[in-house]
Amino acid sequence: MAQATRFPYPEEIVIPKELEGWEEMYPSVRLFQKEREPWDKLHFWFQDKIHASEPLYPLDDIFQEAWQIALSQYTTRVFTIPPAQGVAQRILGCYMYITPVEAPPPEVIQAKVETFTKRVPWVIENFDKLLWGLWIEKFKKLGEELKALNVPTELPMCVPDTEIFPQTLGYTDAYRLIEAWNTAISLIFKSWQLHFEYLNITYLSYVMFLDVARKLFPGIKDSTLGTMLAGAQADMFRPDEELCKLARSAHARPAVADILKSDAPAETKIMNLRQFDSGLAWLEELEKAKDPWFYVSCGGGWFHHEGSWITQMDVPFAYLKSYIERLEKGETIERAYDAISAERERIVGEYRALIKTDEDRKSFDDAYKTIRTIYRFAEDHIFWVEHWMHTIWFGKVRAFGTLLKKRGVIDDVEDIFLFNKFEVPELIQDVATAWALGEGVPTRGEHWKAIAQKRKRILEAAGKWVPAPAIGNPPTEVAEPFIISLWGVQTDTVAQWLSGAGLKAEEVTELKGFASSTGIAEGPARVLMLASDIPTLKEGEIMIVPSTSPSWAPVFTKVKAAVTDIGGIASHAAIVCREYNLPAVTGTMNATSVIKTGDTVRVDGTSGKVTILKRA
Amino acid sequence: MECKCVYWLEEIGQEHNNLVGKKCANLGELTKAGFRVPPGFSLSVDAYARFMNESGAKADVMKYLRSFSADPHSLDDTLKFQKASEDIRGIVESKQMPADMETTVREHYSTLCGRCCCEDAPVAARSAGPVSHPGQYETYLNVKGADEVVRNIVRVWASTFNTRSIIARARLSLPVEYDPIGVAVLAMVDAKAAGVMFSLNPVNGDESKVSIEGNWGLGEAVVSGSINPDRFLVDKVMLQIEERTISRKDMEFAYNEITGEMEYRELPEELKTAPCLEDKEVLELARIAKKVEAYFKCPQDSEWVISRSLPFPDNTFLVQTRPESVWAKKEKVSVLGQKTGMQMLIEKATTPTKLDFG
Repeated sequence: MAQATRFPYPEEIVIPKELEGWEEMYPSVRLFQKEREPWDKLHFWFQDKIHASEPLYPLDDIFQEAWQIALSQYTTRVFTIPPAQGVAQRILGCYMYITPVEAPPPEVIQAKVETFTKRVPWVIENFDKLLWGLWIEKFKKLGEELKALNVPTELPMCVPDTEIFPQTLGYTDAYRLIEAWNTAISLIFKSWQLHFEYLNITYLSYVMFLDVARKLFPGIKDSTLGTMLAGAQADMFRPDEELCKLARSAHARPAVADILKSDAPAETKIMNLRQFDSGLAWLEELEKAKDPWFYVSCGGGWFHHEGSWITQMDVPFAYLKSYIERLEKGETIERAYDAISAERERIVGEYRALIKTDEDRKSFDDAYKTIRTIYRFAEDHIFWVEHWMHTIWFGKVRAFGTLLKKRGVIDDVEDIFLFNKFEVPELIQDVATAWALGEGVPTRGEHWKAIAQKRKRILEAAGKWVPAPAIGNPPTEVAEPFIISLWGVQTDTVAQWLSGAGLKAEEVTELKGFASSTGIAEGPARVLMLASDIPTLKEGEIMIVPSTSPSWAPVFTKVKAAVTDIGGIASHAAIVCREYNLPAVTGTMNATSVIKTGDTVRVDGTSGKVTILKRA
Repeated sequence: MECKCVYWLEEIGQEHNNLVGKKCANLGELTKAGFRVPPGFSLSVDAYARFMNESGAKADVMKYLRSFSADPHSLDDTLKFQKASEDIRGIVESKQMPADMETTVREHYSTLCGRCCCEDAPVAARSAGPVSHPGQYETYLNVKGADEVVRNIVRVWASTFNTRSIIARARLSLPVEYDPIGVAVLAMVDAKAAGVMFSLNPVNGDESKVSIEGNWGLGEAVVSGSINPDRFLVDKVMLQIEERTISRKDMEFAYNEITGEMEYRELPEELKTAPCLEDKEVLELARIAKKVEAYFKCPQDSEWVISRSLPFPDNTFLVQTRPESVWAKKEKVSVLGQKTGMQMLIEKATTPTKLDFG
């Protein structure tokens, strides 16, 4: 059978009938549409498994919309990376596909070179001493603003006296609701604008450094390049560091440790700890650590249903229990930061010494300095945006959800996420109007609830459907730096997709992915799809997951290796594994469907191969 | 003429090239530096001179040469040189080593046997020319017993008169009757596997790699190029095996107990396709290659042997090393083109990556 040379077009894809009506869930610009068909067909669309590995909840789509603009604008309009343009998105059957926009005309490229040359070196030179500090300041202010946003969670029979005396306010909760929603949308949107402020430059620097190293040392492994950048004191690792500190503090107080080791819900443990002095002291330490570090998501931060440590205290408490038990066994629970840094220094130093000419060595030093300066942005921004900010956002949205539920337009607080950002104002409007009109005035509650129910069913069905990995004709070149290093789309990837669903899962004995974190390990595999299951991983197991999250860091010192479905070597999954010295192969595409829990696997993070040695 | 003609490897070093020949000097240096080198001793270049003069060998050879004429530049005369070589070697091999020298050799051999905890320890007698010196002379393997050691040292000396070497000297107008060399007498390692290694990738000169080639049995199989060896490419910095090519190895070069000769013999079927080195041995060899390079401050071309009778890592021996000569001669060129980080960034930003689906 001849190998397919292209992927299906949108109209050729058969969407299961259980998904009927899915188009209504998203704003029309998000879908493949007739007017844009000629342009759409020129492009190669692939499923974005990093940010949208699950069917998209309408309101969660706001992040995707926001990054389409943010990522693209810095490339096209701000730092003007010459031959690159933005990354476009389309939703099909509740899954999101993306494509890099082709290069602009030569005159535009030339003009972009000028602004690029003027702006980018300046950013890199000033990143450390000026821009990073400013970014953090700007961002924290934004998050605090969202945190402080007052969302009415119920509407009174009559406004309180405080809104009349000593002077009349002039507006009510009806207005507040609408304004609050607009503010929330603006703030979350702006946070994504900031998210990309330096990210494009960071990835470009990264890709440039890889290039330089590969020219000097043809055949140098990706995993080796990763080690040259490891050992960062990034905010992303603070949540785990705080847990380690809390665990050690508890370990030093036997009464506290005993409670934390017990099998009880976090709430119960907290209640018990309140009963005595050292317990109270420990709880105070816990409080201090919570903001911002416990805002870390239990997953990647993209889906409202993942939860975070601050809303699901059982998760960090499960990690604490495990840490205390390991401390009692005499184990080290912290990541080997010093060792990782020392190893990085050794590796870079030795390769540097092997460079043959002084000129090349100087160029290498320069390239390395460039990436080392700005690399922390890649690691840090994730915590502040996808974790801290998103957790605050979800909390605020749930406040709106609480109100909508109380006013009878949705059945469940979570159902608010079934409406997209253009629709929620309508529900709010409906509620505000009915309230303003007085007692006994109906809303379209029945209507909204029916929509919510239908969409729940559609999303469930979409979850059972395996969408096409890509749409359209494969490209011949890629200029956009993210596509290669973050999404990991390269020749191999596309060829693998093209060769399609040839083998059955049971027949596969070897998987290839990115050699993201050096080292080889063998052991029993544990396939985990739910973030809430992560703390149950056992010592010496090998985790097989769709992707990784910094909130899972506490298990990284327990497990032997990690294998992920998605992510290139600059992806989050890869970075975290390197920082924890955990051998890892990322971007295998389908590890979680091919490997079964109990299989014995061999993970070669040095060469990017996973071998299934024995089936369970 | 007095000379200290016999030296333990521990007594000599890099500076003694002209005294004992480069091979011996290097082995001495390696021994001093703490590398695992088989124990042994060397005869100096002066020992050759003494032998040739005092035994009358030189006089007899010169006498022979007076009635010999042939054109070293003519291919037709090669047969003449071949006959002369046979005759001259016969003359030299018939001579006796000076008595005191022979005593010293026997004493050293006896001590060596003690060190190897073996009566009549098998040794290799290898030629060791000084720095600038044409010709590749003989090595005699598996020499056992003091008598044989003495005899084979003389044979090594006699091998300076092999055909190609006398032609070479004649062409260069060097004295044909005289080419002083040292001799290394090294304990033989009971070889499980042996081969060569470069502390760079000989294919492309990449100095961040160690390239190891090996086969079962003795290293002659690999050095002579007569067998397809296993090949391993190890990253020097990461100490990780990156490439592995396991060849079909039909034969090994080993000692035949019955005939008392070294020979190429067929390997059992299961060894033909099995890797001749375990991963840990590959990595240990790579570590050694890295250390040797660091010691001599330039990429090295080395020979190694893995002993069958010692535990890891004591079983990994270095038996030779010299500076790598091919890539060392090549001009070191910049590959990046004197660019600053910023220039490279701009270059990267302006160059799309090609994806090739073939």
